[in-house]
Amino acid sequence: MSALRLISNRTSQQALSNSDYTWEYEYYEYGPVSFEGLKAHKYSIVIGFWVGLAVFVIFMFFVLTLLTKTGAPHQDNAEPSEKRFRMNSFVADFGRPLESERVFSRQMAEESRSLFHFCINEVEHLDKAKQNHKGPGLETNIHFEEVPRSSGMFEEDLNCLTKFNIPNFVNTEQNSSLGEDDLLISEPPIILESKSVMQSSRRILD
Amino acid sequence: ENISDFSLNVTDCTQVVVPEEVFFTVAAAGILENLLVLIAVVRNKNLHLPMYFFICSLAISDMLGSLYKTLENIFIILCKMGYLTRRGDFEKKLDDAMDSMFILSLLGSIFSLLAIAADRYITIFYALRYHNIMTLRRALAILAIIWTFCAGSSIAIALFSYEAATVIPFTILFPLMMFFILCLYVHMFLLARSHAKKIASLPTSTVHQRTNMKGAITLTIFLGVFLCCWAPFVLHILLARFCPHNPYCACYMSIFHVNGTLIMCNAIIDPMIFAFRSPELRSTFKKMFCCAR
Repeated sequence: MSALRLISNRTSQQALSNSDYTWEYEYYEYGPVSFEGLKAHKYSIVIGFWVGLAVFVIFMFFVLTLLTKTGAPHQDNAEPSEKRFRMNSFVADFGRPLESERVFSRQMAEESRSLFHFCINEVEHLDKAKQNHKGPGLETNIHFEEVPRSSGMFEEDLNCLTKFNIPNFVNTEQNSSLGEDDLLISEPPIILESKSVMQSSRRILD
Repeated sequence: ENISDFSLNVTDCTQVVVPEEVFFTVAAAGILENLLVLIAVVRNKNLHLPMYFFICSLAISDMLGSLYKTLENIFIILCKMGYLTRRGDFEKKLDDAMDSMFILSLLGSIFSLLAIAADRYITIFYALRYHNIMTLRRALAILAIIWTFCAGSSIAIALFSYEAATVIPFTILFPLMMFFILCLYVHMFLLARSHAKKIASLPTSTVHQRTNMKGAITLTIFLGVFLCCWAPFVLHILLARFCPHNPYCACYMSIFHVNGTLIMCNAIIDPMIFAFRSPELRSTFKKMFCCAR
């Protein structure tokens, strides 16, 4: 009996202390709550809240899964499945780097980022002396242009994509002092050029 | 006798009590983990980047949340042992300070998550200009602004707590921010998807198309953990303001300690899903512990 009293005392004290420090005087002023005539279960808000939260999270998950579904048909070839897998995983893997591909040092990591920009072809112009390129056209949308290429070129593209690390999630490169001009790239046909492009980007970054 | 009678009359839903050992263990684990993240970022020069500063900001707000809960429990224990009176002036001021620390932690968490999402967004959509847009100085300035705003709001909310004018904006801010963060990430996903589609449509594409579950899982974990850990408390505040003597609301409010423990669990989980994902940070940890041995 006394043990029970002690426990209830402790509980109540803690409750009261908490009500002291979280609800101040209001809890006392409103007085006791009566529990007669409850139509639903007394924990219905708790249960309803958690069920609702769970449903919402699951719904959000399915929506996100649908959004990330790429949905294109399968393609067969002689490439190792490993590379295919990496190609996919970089697209959606916001959490983890392609660690097995990270043979680069810090500088190389920056290079891989700029290679990514070659690949997704962001907006600006590159130093004209280094490349041949088409007309200047400035684009504001990130897009990927499909151009006829040799299979050798495509290998390089694959390489650049597999080595890509979304910088924010992965890289630990130092804050570079490169100016905007240094990271400018040109129109898609540049991608088609061979090693000279990659080398010039290395030069830019060094 | 009065006290126990009162509490038994007040509600059939007695306070669900979390054992103090569990409470303190969870709180200590949260504080230690986030402290480790902070130390690692400070010690490793490679990690002096805007992205890691935002992660540090999140770690600080998590630490504050756990610290608050720990201090509150210590406070209650001291009161129970009789060292402090419950309604003294000093105690009330201390209590106000602790409340504001807690709200600071919540606001800091929300804004840190927002900053992390915005940083990733800029990385992807303004990738070439990222280093110019998000310099170290700007990142620090953004953090200073965020924390000043959070500190001011938390003090204001703690002082005028339970006025409807403070509770409602507070509870609206929470889902609004979550929604905004969700939109940022969804936009990033859409870009990734369109990119993947374009890769797939190359003439000699080697891409084996499949649903990219990893991104969806990661993002669901980010936001799901935050929601599940903080939403119960926010609902508690709403109910305490608007229906404290409704039996259903009272039953919900009786699980207040569980909600508090959830917030501390959030402090433990957050470093795992943000900080420890970075291999550089992990290797810094390994170095720290190897050197300690």
